[in-house]
Parts: sequence; structure tokens; C-alpha cells
Amino acid sequence: MVSVGIEAMNVFGGIAYLDVLQLVRHRQLDTARFENLLMHEKAVALPYEDPVTCGVNAAKPLLDALTEAEKGRIEMLITCSESGIDFGKSMSTYIHHYLGLNRNCRMFELKQACYSGTAGFQMGINFVLSQVSPGAKALVIASDISRFIVPEGGSALTEDWFYAEPSAGAGAVAMLIGENPYVFQADVGANGYYGYEVMDTCRPVPDSEAGDADLSLMSYLDCCEQAFLEYEKRVTGVDYQNSFQYLSFHTPFGGMVKGAHRTMMRKIAQATPTEIEPDFENRVIPGLRYCQRVGNIMGGTLFLSLSSIIDQGRFDSPKRIGCFSYGSGCCSEFFSGIVTSRGQERQRLFGIERQLNERYQLSMDEYEVLIRGNDAVKFGTRNIKLDHELIPGVWSSCKDKQRLFLEEIREFHREYGWIS
Amino acid sequence: MNKTDIFALVARQTCDVIPSLKDHVFQRSDRLKDLGANSIDRSEIIEMTMESLSLNIPRVAVFGARNIGELVDVLHEKLLIDRAS
Repeated sequence: MVSVGIEAMNVFGGIAYLDVLQLVRHRQLDTARFENLLMHEKAVALPYEDPVTCGVNAAKPLLDALTEAEKGRIEMLITCSESGIDFGKSMSTYIHHYLGLNRNCRMFELKQACYSGTAGFQMGINFVLSQVSPGAKALVIASDISRFIVPEGGSALTEDWFYAEPSAGAGAVAMLIGENPYVFQADVGANGYYGYEVMDTCRPVPDSEAGDADLSLMSYLDCCEQAFLEYEKRVTGVDYQNSFQYLSFHTPFGGMVKGAHRTMMRKIAQATPTEIEPDFENRVIPGLRYCQRVGNIMGGTLFLSLSSIIDQGRFDSPKRIGCFSYGSGCCSEFFSGIVTSRGQERQRLFGIERQLNERYQLSMDEYEVLIRGNDAVKFGTRNIKLDHELIPGVWSSCKDKQRLFLEEIREFHREYGWIS
Repeated sequence: MNKTDIFALVARQTCDVIPSLKDHVFQRSDRLKDLGANSIDRSEIIEMTMESLSLNIPRVAVFGARNIGELVDVLHEKLLIDRAS
């Protein structure tokens, strides 16, 4: 059997962000509560950004590091998103064009809330393992934004949004899956999946979200347990505490992961309270750091967490990462893989943390301007020319980077351009 | 185990998770949210109660209670079903 996994991975965490505590104060919510929930910053999409631009901006650096021959072996391009722009035409078609990929390539989109990135990842893994096209690679791009127009329904819905708003982010993770898994070698066959129908959170109307946060938390925790129990059935001698040197979680917000880790350690690993806190610091916190800078990017959040571990962790020897993915509705999976110091070196070349540090910090007034303007680029917009000078500081902060942005929507067709 | 016992268990678990409530006189109409429990606290209280009851069912099966009284009612009902099966 061939080796398989992530050959290269990059994150695009937006070009602008908002300080979450500043938002919480502005909305007159309880700041102490939000500190406990371990949220710091959230990426905010400008009107001339969308999941296509986020996806391209995550993937471009990966492709620029490949030879033409290697790039030509990308035979599958999967976009994973719940922020789709068309019910039929997948975002992969636009991304394929702007990345200049080989036309002998399957391209399509996957959807299952925040599980979508894992679905795409596993599809890529299985494509490579099948060896139907030896040497072929899959480019999997999980890309999501939160650009909500609060629906009519009165103050109750607005209140719900005020609690979801601090964690809602925007961004993308691009992963090249192939036979040379420098960055993350998947443990083949070590998968525990668990899903069922539950109405916890969803996007039943364009540009909005509905659901119950409590139900979603309960479902997340049930799945965290059940997915791991299934994994345990397939992998002899696995131990939640000792088999994985790091744990990566789908991270709606850090506090939720802290709670899930505590529950798993107590119930599955039978750990004592004095063991749980240091374990959280050693094995889980490294995976939270990037998530705390970007917010929840839905389909890609688990891989944002994984990239955080790879960049921030210690890999003096190869280490196994246990990964838990959850998508509302719902579907979940526990899987694992190995990371080495060589993989860390390769990933660090993309400078993910530096890119996050170079983003523009929005003031509350600038943020309010943006959300009031969300209606202009709502789902189904037929014609619009985008104003790149909307918040001048943001545009000028991108000047020396090669980035793709939306210029115009003309008869529903989206036209993009590069800034560099 | 009857509803009074379950109620006492919920109260005890709530105090374990939020120690500042140790002198609170719990009522059926109390809402965990109003007592200062965030979503993670609430889920822990419910989970620890279910563990104490050896009630091994999904957490989502007890979702929907609007206050402690309703939580006790649903736990009692699930316990009866669990014991009968």
C-alpha cells in the first residue's frame, strides 16, 4: 500500500480581523464569559472577498512551490464549503481557472457543515489509495465565510446572532493530498465515523444561520465519544491519553474544545482532574492558537487546528495527532496521522502565523460599515462592481502580496483580479 | 430512584460545577443559565448527573428542558425506559 496524506498545507486567515473582546463590549455582552470561552480574534471577509478568493489565496502558495509537472498531476479539485455561491456550479470551477490547473481533473464541491473539509480530505486519501491513477494528487480546499444578513424575525434572532457572532470567522485551508505525505501521513484504516440526523445548526436560508447552540454542543460531545469508540474498535491497543501526542479538534471556539477534552479524558481515559489540565495545555492548546486568531471557518476549522499543531508543536521525534471532526446535522469522524520535524519545516515555509500578524485590525466603526453592507453581495447578486477602497487601510495592507479578489459580478458570473 | 432524588443529584452536580451556588436553595423553576451556568457548564451538569444515574444514553436524548424541573422529569422518564429495556 502506498503512503498517503498531506504533502503540503496552507491557511488563509483573511486580510482583516476584529478583536473579539472589543466586539463583545460593543454588543454589551458579558466579557468574563467570553474570556472563558477562549476567543481572541475573528477574521472578517470584505465584500470583495468570497470563498473563491479565500480558497485561491490559500492554495496559490502551495502551487507556486510545485514544478509544472507536479502541478499537472492534480487530477481532483474539491471545494468543501457551506458558503456556496451557486446551487449547481461549484466554486472549484472558478478556483481551477484562477490557479491554472490541468483540465484533466475532476472538480466538484462537498457539503456537510463543518465536516466538509474532512469529507474532502478522506475523498482525496481514498483517491490516492485506490491507485487508479498512480502518482495523481488531489487538491482539497475547505473555504467558508460568515457574512450574515440577520433575517426578519425580530429581536430573538438578533440576540442569537449576537452570541454566535464573536466566533464566526472567514478563511480557507488548502491541502495537497498525495503519495509523499511530508506534512501529515494518514493512518490508513484508522477511522471512526459517526453521524445521525439532528437539527442543531444549519443554513436554511441564504446569508443566515439557524439553530440551537446547546443542542449543538450536546451533539458534538456525543459524537466526540462515539467516533472515538468506533476508532478504538478498528485500532488495536489504542489509548486516548497515550497514543496521541497532540489532539486536534474542530474548534467552534476554544472553550468548547476544553470542555470536550475534559469530558473525553474523564470518561474515556479515566483521568483525574489533576491530570486533565496539564494534558490540555500540552496536547490541545497548540491546536487552538490559530483557531483563536481566525474564528470558526466551518469546513476548514479542524485543519486550521491541525496546521496550528504542526507549526507550533515540538517534533524532535515523529508524533501522532488524533483529529476529531464534527459537522452539524450531523456527521463526525476521529482519524489520525503522523507529523515529523521535516513536515514542520516544510509547513513553516508558508509563514501562516506571519500572515495572520500582517492582517489589518478593524475598528468597530469599520466593522459596522462592513456588516451593514453585506446585503450588497448577498447570495444571488446578479450584477455589482466591487469597491476596493471601502476601507482603504485594508486594501493598502495587501499591496505587496499576490492575492485574488472579486472585482465584479456580471450576469451572475464572478470575475476576479489579482492584486500584487 | 425517584424525582426527588434526581432533583437532589442535579442540585449537587450544579454546585460541583459552580461552587458559588452551594448555599442556593434550588427550585424546580430555576434555569441553569440564570444561575450562571454557560453552555459548557450546563452540559457538564447534565452529563455528571447521567453518569451518577448510570444512564448511558446520548446527551441529545435529554435536550429540551427549559428549567431544572423539566430536566428532572426527562431524566426520570429516560431512566424508567432504560431500566425497563
